[in-house]
Amino acid sequence: MSEDSTPPEQASGAVRLVHPGERIGGHDGAEAGHGIRRIDGELVAMRMGTLQENGQTVSVEPLSSRYTPRAGDLVIGLVEGMTNNIWFMDIGASFNAILPMSLAPWKVEFGAVREHLGVGEAVLCRVQEVDETHSAVATMKGMGLRKLKSGMLETIPPHIIPAVIGKGGEMLQTLKELGDCRIVVGQNGRVWLDGEQDGMREIRSALKLIRDTAHLPGLKERVAALAGE
Amino acid sequence: MGYDDYQCMDANGIREDGRKADEMRPVEIVCGVIPVADGSARIKWGKNEAVAAVYGPMEAHPRKIQRQDRAILDVRYNMAPFSTTDRIRPGFNRRSREIGKVTRDALESVVDLELYPRSKIRVEIEIICAEAGTRCCGITAASVALADAGIPMSDMVVSVAAGKCNGIVLMDLNKPEDNYGEADLPMGILPATDEVVFLQMDGDLSMDEFKQCWDYNVKAAHDVHAIMVEALRTRYGGEV
Amino acid sequence: MAIPIIPSLLRKSLAEMASTDERIDGRSRYEGRNLEIEVDCLANAEGSCRVRMGDTIVLAGVKFQLMTPYPDRPTEGGLMTSAEVRPVCGPNWEAGPPSEESIELGRVVDRGIRESGCINTTELCILPGEKAWQVIIDLFAISDDGNMFDAFALAAIAALRTATVPAERFDVGEDYRLPVKGTPIMCSYHKVGGRFVFDANKREELGGDERIHITLGDEGHVHSLQKGLRGVFTATEFDEIMDQAQSHCAELREIVHNLEDSL
Repeated sequence: MSEDSTPPEQASGAVRLVHPGERIGGHDGAEAGHGIRRIDGELVAMRMGTLQENGQTVSVEPLSSRYTPRAGDLVIGLVEGMTNNIWFMDIGASFNAILPMSLAPWKVEFGAVREHLGVGEAVLCRVQEVDETHSAVATMKGMGLRKLKSGMLETIPPHIIPAVIGKGGEMLQTLKELGDCRIVVGQNGRVWLDGEQDGMREIRSALKLIRDTAHLPGLKERVAALAGE
Repeated sequence: MGYDDYQCMDANGIREDGRKADEMRPVEIVCGVIPVADGSARIKWGKNEAVAAVYGPMEAHPRKIQRQDRAILDVRYNMAPFSTTDRIRPGFNRRSREIGKVTRDALESVVDLELYPRSKIRVEIEIICAEAGTRCCGITAASVALADAGIPMSDMVVSVAAGKCNGIVLMDLNKPEDNYGEADLPMGILPATDEVVFLQMDGDLSMDEFKQCWDYNVKAAHDVHAIMVEALRTRYGGEV
Repeated sequence: MAIPIIPSLLRKSLAEMASTDERIDGRSRYEGRNLEIEVDCLANAEGSCRVRMGDTIVLAGVKFQLMTPYPDRPTEGGLMTSAEVRPVCGPNWEAGPPSEESIELGRVVDRGIRESGCINTTELCILPGEKAWQVIIDLFAISDDGNMFDAFALAAIAALRTATVPAERFDVGEDYRLPVKGTPIMCSYHKVGGRFVFDANKREELGGDERIHITLGDEGHVHSLQKGLRGVFTATEFDEIMDQAQSHCAELREIVHNLEDSL
């Protein structure tokens, strides 16, 4: 569930901001990673973001992006519609995901999908597979996957997720303690909070702080300061 | 004033707004001006003011407009009723439709559409105040808004218009020069390679004059590109 | 406008918050969002105003055209309000002919201004039976984060009160300030989580129920009312928000007057 990755501001060395179309020189023989394309032999940044050099691969960590589903991702989806045997879910990607009847946790009769999950309801589910046209199939068969019946949802940009989770889940733990709530962070940038009103409000303020200042150093201290108030 | 009376330049080679033949109007760009959009930008160019908003990529509805192999760009260009001296009646406008289409053609040439099959990316361009070169402002603002939204592109399109007035080739035409002049050449340029993705022309230009207009546009595009990059860097905490 | 999905958790959260008199963005029940207002911001309009309430941003432009007075009203000019809510301002606004929502927006703002009598159409007459001014207010949405009604109405009256009649351009005399008597102000209340709140944001509108728009004039007189969307309200509920409107409108009116004084 939590991703063990280093938030951008903790990476060592100078951070280089690149823009679409910027030519990245001085990396002969390097592989073009995410957000980089080789055009006429040159490495070109395709997005606004920070340049990442990992061994022989050069990539761009985007500063703004739409969630792209990958198999295995834990996501929070919103039901947009249904047919007799599938639900269409908005998972914040460029295309809706489908949840077939066969991958729901209940025994569903053909035509009775509505009884179990209606439009506007939120579910915790996992991306089962993504085909080459970016069609995603979701499943609710799995531990902890369920309809979310209480609490509230917040949305954060996907590239902020590492900062919300922190190294080894540190930040997430801080947030849970701050508001004394259950928190689930979907890979699609949707965050589910469940607890007392006060606690959820504290966490939402902290999320806003993280969203606005994640790229500046000292994030841990700033969030800890909120807890002190 | 009739078409024969306008003098675009005085005896010292200075235009009505104080510029020389090869100077641009002042340009200011700010990103993130429309909080509810995925990406946005406002451009002030001389007396022009335009905003662009980007939404998406999102599922393309209705199904019949979806393309299986790539995303589609849904581009709209519109002039607000109060943008010109004479009020523009809201509603369908052929000029705006054409500009929307050529803008889409320009932006589709750089956006990595294949990354988002079956989806669409909306680009909304609104001209708030007009003073010649609005389509160029629109394309330029749209490029910045797309970058702001994190849409992958091989380069940003920069659009400028050079032209001719009183027989003199001029960079970045202003309103009277556009109205009373003999030619207008708006272009959309990719600054990394000087390749062209947008080109229109109307009027009368000799081959030499045409080449001079082209060169003016390329030079101006580079100057504007620096302003675009600065705007994006500022938005994203440019102390880096 | 495309119908957005209303997350069922949102309605639940809003109701829970309402039971402890809280709002989703931490404001109190009758507290408005941060307000920014600027006039004279559109170079090609004869009057203009930009209003920002929270993340809702709108523009109002006032333009003048010459018209021939109607035969039955030879000494009167005209006043027209047009609202455009284009796809630029939000993910759910679609391209195409004006939606019902944008038509309602324009007409409700128009009624508030017209019925207050702040514009005297006989003062718009240039030559009886032949020439008169038509004043056109164009309302334009840039960013929709809720409560566009109040933002539009405020921008409209501020733009009107700082507008200049372009007599010189039309060769009918010297430019002069448009005479506007009074400052009608609209305040809107949205039922969220079962009770009315002031200046609802988009999420509150999405998860809320009906809304009521009240336009009051300088003496606290009511000049227009409108109830929109699905829901019921009682006389007691209405009395309470009418009370609130008296003070909210007065506050906004003072802001407009201060703005004019600083010009």
